[in-house]
Amino acid sequence: MPESFLVIDDSKLLHQMYRLIFSQGDLAGSTVHYAANGREGYAMLAAHPELTLVLLDLNMPEMNGLEVLARRQAEHLYPHVPVALVTTEGSEEDEARGRAVGAWDYLRKPFQPSDIQALVRRARELRRSRGAA
Amino acid sequence: MTAGENPFGDLLQDYIVECLPLAEQVGDAFVELERSWRSDEPGDDLLTTVKGRLHTIKGNSAMMGIAPARDVAHALEDACGFLGRAPDARTADAAALLVAGGGLLVELVGGASPELDPAPATAFVERVRVYLTAAPGAATTGSDRRQTERRGPRSDEGGAAGNTVRIDFRRLDAMLEVLGEGLIQHSSLVELYRRLLRKVGAGVELEELDQTVLSLQKTLTRLESTLMEARLLPVSTVLGRFPRLVRDVAHAEGKKVRLEVSGGETALDKAVLDRLGEPLLHLVSNAVAHGLEHPEERTRAGKPAEGHIRLRAASVSGRVTIRVSDDGRGLDVEAIRAKAESLGLDVRNADDAQLHHLVFVSGLSTAERVTTLSGRGLGLDVAANVIHALGGTIEVESRKGQGTAFTLSLPVTLAIVRSLIVEVDRERYAVPLSHVAETVRAEPEAIRQINNQGVTQWRGDLIHVADAGAVLGTPESSRGLRPFYVVMTAGAKRRGLLVDRLIGHQDIVVKGLDPALGRPTVVSGTTILGDGRVACILDVVRILDGAAHVN
Repeated sequence: MPESFLVIDDSKLLHQMYRLIFSQGDLAGSTVHYAANGREGYAMLAAHPELTLVLLDLNMPEMNGLEVLARRQAEHLYPHVPVALVTTEGSEEDEARGRAVGAWDYLRKPFQPSDIQALVRRARELRRSRGAA
Repeated sequence: MTAGENPFGDLLQDYIVECLPLAEQVGDAFVELERSWRSDEPGDDLLTTVKGRLHTIKGNSAMMGIAPARDVAHALEDACGFLGRAPDARTADAAALLVAGGGLLVELVGGASPELDPAPATAFVERVRVYLTAAPGAATTGSDRRQTERRGPRSDEGGAAGNTVRIDFRRLDAMLEVLGEGLIQHSSLVELYRRLLRKVGAGVELEELDQTVLSLQKTLTRLESTLMEARLLPVSTVLGRFPRLVRDVAHAEGKKVRLEVSGGETALDKAVLDRLGEPLLHLVSNAVAHGLEHPEERTRAGKPAEGHIRLRAASVSGRVTIRVSDDGRGLDVEAIRAKAESLGLDVRNADDAQLHHLVFVSGLSTAERVTTLSGRGLGLDVAANVIHALGGTIEVESRKGQGTAFTLSLPVTLAIVRSLIVEVDRERYAVPLSHVAETVRAEPEAIRQINNQGVTQWRGDLIHVADAGAVLGTPESSRGLRPFYVVMTAGAKRRGLLVDRLIGHQDIVVKGLDPALGRPTVVSGTTILGDGRVACILDVVRILDGAAHVN
């Protein structure tokens, strides 16, 4: 079964970049859902328990990344789906706040396609280890 | 090439489409903040909104590898962060800093490319850093420090910026005035030395005086070049606004355009740059609006639907050339010919190059010609006049169906011009040396009269030789052959000018003409000579142009 991913980011440019990345190498052919804000993203997450990985932008209008994570934690929505928080600063404060609400990992802008590939590899390992357990 | 360096290089257009409106909103918000603060409104909401947008621009610029935009957005974010915490710091100066940064950000994002000149951004980041360090109660945060360290080694300029003082350009002008006086006094000393030499003959003391005057001249020359360097700015300060302009015009005209800007680091005197914007704007917007065909027309002609406009600046032997070229339809020579004939010009024997050149003639460049002349005429005479007033030349090359290129050649500076001083009817005139090919002793038998015009052989060609008195309109003009002629050149044109005496070379400080005097056609400015006399500076380009039309 092809893998699927969710990108939650208010920037169309970033969507384009993810499209590029998810069309290359062994990621080609995977399904990617795109949401333009936190609210929409949360709804999509709720509809897709099978996601391999969620890439969640920190700074968004409406509902920001931390708010999405906090709500997911409060509602126990698919805690097994790893969510990587995408930040520009990568300040320690942001990271600590992210971890407190259940961020699985961080991705700092600017990132390279290889950074996403590495994240996906780790998300697969996580899934395998859970599946084995 | 460039796209390969950043994995998302192909998304440059998407980046501009997304971030330019954000940058523009940021710029507008800063203008609004400036207004609010003046009327003592805090504008906290605006600051918060702006910070979010800056953050997005910063992140996207970082992803695209557009470091100057990233750094300016980051610096503005820091400044907004500080101002958000420090209401007392919301002064007119702080607002001016933000407005300047907003404008720069718009330019950088609009003109984004991997070759973007980092200098303006580096300078602005430094300005913000200095502001944040000096502002009362401002403490540099951890993230600021980290960012500064990361930027440090990236450019030498950044390292040197610690020693930078900002200076009002008018003070540089004032320093130049003083230098001008020094140059005048130097010339006086030289004259005095010559008079003494004639009177008392050579001697040890005079030898020493000569040496001292010589070293004074070297010192002044060094001072001059240092001062000139301080006046230079990268051409990118002007070229930076064109991506946006091109985008807007292309959008309005339904054209597809790819703009390529290069050579932005080429340095020009600020005084030249300030006046260059307008004519370049004419050339570039004309290229988009009229030079390039519509996408369907291009496709029919077997060309890529997207038109290509190149804006290239370069330093060429002491001058700066700027070339604006397109791959559009080219000039319509038949339409130019018809128009020229309707104006009573004799163009029967004119070749294509001569016809192309007519687009700079006023009357041939009226708005009604827009459609038939591919609109090349629009304001071109005006643009050419500005370039000429700057001591520059403008040339056009065009090939039907393949495109048109305008090449501007400009002096690096307007302020000091090395000139040949000549005398005509006891008045002195300065001829910029960049336009002087040679000075020749006029032998009566070597100059023939053809159609009431003097003609002579010069370097194997026939050139016209005109009497300076007649050209300048001095009262005693017609009194036989003057003893020397100066061969003046501009672009491909040249002509001899007969004068009474050759005085010598001198660096002159150019003073503008009193606008109340109107615009004389053959003089571009004035200067003060070593003996305190005022001399007019000849506008060689205009003199040669006039000659061309008489012919």
